[in-house]
Amino acid sequence: MVLEMAEFPVTGIQPGAKIVYEAGTLRVDRQEIVDSILQETRIEAAWLEIVAPGDHARITGIRDVVEPRVKVSGAGQVFPGVLGAVEPVGDGRTHRLSGMAVFVTAEYEGTVRAGLAVQRHAILDMWGAGAEASRYSRLHGLVVNLRLAKGLSELQAHTIIQRAAYETAKKLAETTIGQEPRHVETFALGGADPALPKVFLIQGCLTDSHNPHTGVSYYNLPIRDSLATLIHPNEFFDGVFSVNATRCVGYFPITWDWQNHPLVLGLYREHRKRLNFAGVILERIRYETFHGKEVVAQHTANMASQLGADAALIAWVGSGNAFVDVMLTVRACERRNINTVLVTYEYGGKDGIDSPLLFYVPEANAVASTGSRDRWIELPPAEKLIGPYEEIQILSYPGAPLASARGALTLDARDMIVGGVDNWGQENWICNAY
Amino acid sequence: MISKELDRAGFPVALISAMYPVAEQIGASRIVKAVAIPHPCGDPSLPAEMDRALRREIVTSALKALETEVETTTLFAPKMAVSS
Repeated sequence: MVLEMAEFPVTGIQPGAKIVYEAGTLRVDRQEIVDSILQETRIEAAWLEIVAPGDHARITGIRDVVEPRVKVSGAGQVFPGVLGAVEPVGDGRTHRLSGMAVFVTAEYEGTVRAGLAVQRHAILDMWGAGAEASRYSRLHGLVVNLRLAKGLSELQAHTIIQRAAYETAKKLAETTIGQEPRHVETFALGGADPALPKVFLIQGCLTDSHNPHTGVSYYNLPIRDSLATLIHPNEFFDGVFSVNATRCVGYFPITWDWQNHPLVLGLYREHRKRLNFAGVILERIRYETFHGKEVVAQHTANMASQLGADAALIAWVGSGNAFVDVMLTVRACERRNINTVLVTYEYGGKDGIDSPLLFYVPEANAVASTGSRDRWIELPPAEKLIGPYEEIQILSYPGAPLASARGALTLDARDMIVGGVDNWGQENWICNAY
Repeated sequence: MISKELDRAGFPVALISAMYPVAEQIGASRIVKAVAIPHPCGDPSLPAEMDRALRREIVTSALKALETEVETTTLFAPKMAVSS
């Protein structure tokens, strides 16, 4: 499986009479996109806005962030199982509009009023302290705002929002067909150098078996209770992973993150130089019994061992008890002589004095921290407000007080900011010792 | 953490927890193994009679744990294995 990723960098988005990519500028016929979105009759209104890094703009109600891509050769199409047939992707050539994304927003209150599946208010600041906290603030954004019909279930709303975002992203990327890319990067496994260690990525994946959407789907198949499975890293780049498009919580990576997984890219770029990248093991985590957690950890380590792993990066998704599964996986691998590096964010509390991790094992002797998801952050008032909400709830419990979305905000954690938690080490963080 | 504070205040505590290794790490005194995170003291997937017996077993174990003097973190394991 060989994938050529052809890059078309976007340095600005402008309104235009049709969708055209030219010399780094993407011109967008907003009416054409709105007309296409409104073919879905359960979307009552759609409107588009353009944002650039540094704009004093705050976006509210974000549901997903998607990089425009389209396959120009090889089997299948981007987002297989969502936009088209389930065909094996990861081979051939894919075009990407880099440096930009489709931000999809929608007002949606949901039917679930408490617990993990409750709706949150996801925001993004394109300037200032909020921008420094999120990787998405560096992207030029085409913001697709949707007003949904009332009374939709979680899965109906999810399907409608996701389709609007994915179809818009693909439509934008289609303008590059026939054009010469600025840069092409080729992704292929194999050609291993026997002198180098064989390294896997073990991607822990919190999914909920009890919520309407499990959180992560593979070829649009919801991942529920399942044992570990081997996947090809090229599949990430063609969008086989999709997420719940009604919720956007900082510690759950969204579509853009799965398309641009920094550890997959990092392992590929070291392939046959410092290591042999051998593949990705997807491990479902958040078993509800300790027994379940032990079984999946053992099974995942057994799979890595049988595949000849010398080492593994272990990363995860989510929060809470799922981290126990992750730590047990570290231990199970180390006991099979597979060297591990755990990649994780830390907690630490709003003042940085609480426990940084939920659970430890002594075998976790190499951990790369991607920074704290806690800590205070002060956001100044926004000059421009984009998205559906004039008022937002900082806390997610029923009846929580409303704050002006336009005003100054004080947050005691980063999970309300889209991209405010760096699950997989996308960013370069510096830790200052005091 | 609450159980540790109760201990410090002189109340005997038994912590019923599905994530008992986490409770051990925190240093709770008496820890009773529970069934699962969403239903610690029973199993709604079992027939009602079996669930009733399981619930009784866990609560009885927890009461026995409360009556037991402990020096250090101690794990109490109710008999709750059901093959599936």
